[in-house]
Amino acid sequence: MAEEWKRSADVVIIGAGIQGCSIAYNLAKLGVKDVVVLEKDTPTAGSTGRCAAGIRAQWGTKMNCQLGLASLEILEHLHEELGMDIGLHQGGYLMVAYKESEFEQLKKNVALQNSLGITSRVVNKEEAYEICPTLSAEDAVGFTYHHRDGHADPFLTTIAYHKAASEKGVRFYKFTECTGIKVKGEVKGVVTTRGEIDTPVVVDAAGPYSQHIAAMAGIKLPFYSERHEILVTEPVEFGVCPCMLMSFSGNYYIQQRPIGSIIAGCSPEGHPEDYSLGNTWNFLEHMSRVIVKLLPKLGGVRVVRQWSGMYNMSPDKQPVIGESKEVKGFYISAGFSGHGFMFGPISGKLLAELIVTGTSSIPIDVLNYDRFERGELIEEPAVV
Amino acid sequence: MELIREHPVLEFRHGRLVKFTFEGREMEGFEGEPIAMALHANGIRVYRETPEMKRPRGFFCAIGKCSSCFMVVDGVPNVRTCITPLKEGMRIEVQRGKGKIKLNHEGDPK
Repeated sequence: MAEEWKRSADVVIIGAGIQGCSIAYNLAKLGVKDVVVLEKDTPTAGSTGRCAAGIRAQWGTKMNCQLGLASLEILEHLHEELGMDIGLHQGGYLMVAYKESEFEQLKKNVALQNSLGITSRVVNKEEAYEICPTLSAEDAVGFTYHHRDGHADPFLTTIAYHKAASEKGVRFYKFTECTGIKVKGEVKGVVTTRGEIDTPVVVDAAGPYSQHIAAMAGIKLPFYSERHEILVTEPVEFGVCPCMLMSFSGNYYIQQRPIGSIIAGCSPEGHPEDYSLGNTWNFLEHMSRVIVKLLPKLGGVRVVRQWSGMYNMSPDKQPVIGESKEVKGFYISAGFSGHGFMFGPISGKLLAELIVTGTSSIPIDVLNYDRFERGELIEEPAVV
Repeated sequence: MELIREHPVLEFRHGRLVKFTFEGREMEGFEGEPIAMALHANGIRVYRETPEMKRPRGFFCAIGKCSSCFMVVDGVPNVRTCITPLKEGMRIEVQRGKGKIKLNHEGDPK
């Protein structure tokens, strides 16, 4: 590849998933000239391209509600801003509770969401069946719904950022792995499989590998990466599952892609942390049962593919977004715990603001990783 | 119908000769052998038409991976005919476009 190698840059971002591409675009938009993105594979090849595509504002902490709503607002107009379709579909998220305690928590979440301008609501069974006409959830005790939630295409969205960033002069180096960070009191540069780049600012957006990148700068992030499995069926008529169905106690999320395929996943048993990306028949069998119980009309529909991807888990299931207090110039946007795609549009914007101006339009000081040492965790209750 | 009956190395036997229909035309094939094989032996090469460009598709990977041989069998679309055994009386049709999947209890009241 006769691609020019830049020996120096203003900012080097590690990882070309949704975070890296969104940060790169937002930096360029704010006028940063020399931005380089390193990607050890190709854009979206990591967790972004493996995710379930969901976007939601129905969260259980103030921080996540704010981020979720702000991200939805960006996503609703992103095709205009980036000049490319992103496959947005807002069919809403229908949260299903099977336990009274869970329903109580969902109701608390809705009260919090409403106080922050999110128009979610508690719905009864009749309404739930109207929202999702093929649903069978006789054993559920309650539901909540937010019509602006939904899904977007992770590939189209990331590539839209990638394309818009490239047009603004951001350089993307594919198949280029970061192997070291040069630090002398502060960030001095990066070492890669293709050469070195001098830079005062490094952004760790490496998803499941973020803790390894941070370790290269001498920073210990208390993250781990967990394999989650997912499957997709052959396309059936649209409208079988017009909303995202999600349950924490039921441990599932199910949605229908615009072409008609059903995508479904759940939290894994045993929480595999071996960084491999295999598939299991146990998951296939379990997930198929869950789908058919909830959406009986799908019995007999064929699964065409299953795959897996990694959640980069933080101790409180909230991301770390911000600059390290130990190493000046080392920024982190990671630990999204399975929600990096949906937060990407807003987290990229906030981190870019932070890098350029030193402050962000939504205060995210609490998302620094020093919260783990201080024991000030912001535990998110609404995670599958 | 053209199919080998003897192989220089492998020993094998065909199943029972059964009748099936392709686009309404009656044909014969060996029971238990892949549908696509029976069609091929009857000189049928086009199994599917692509949804957008309306291009013909036929036998390709022959191991159930590629989607090229999807056909409508007894009213069910997306059947991988290269790995689905032939049965007596099967109604086999070219799949045009995506094919509509019949859902369970379709039309049933909720």
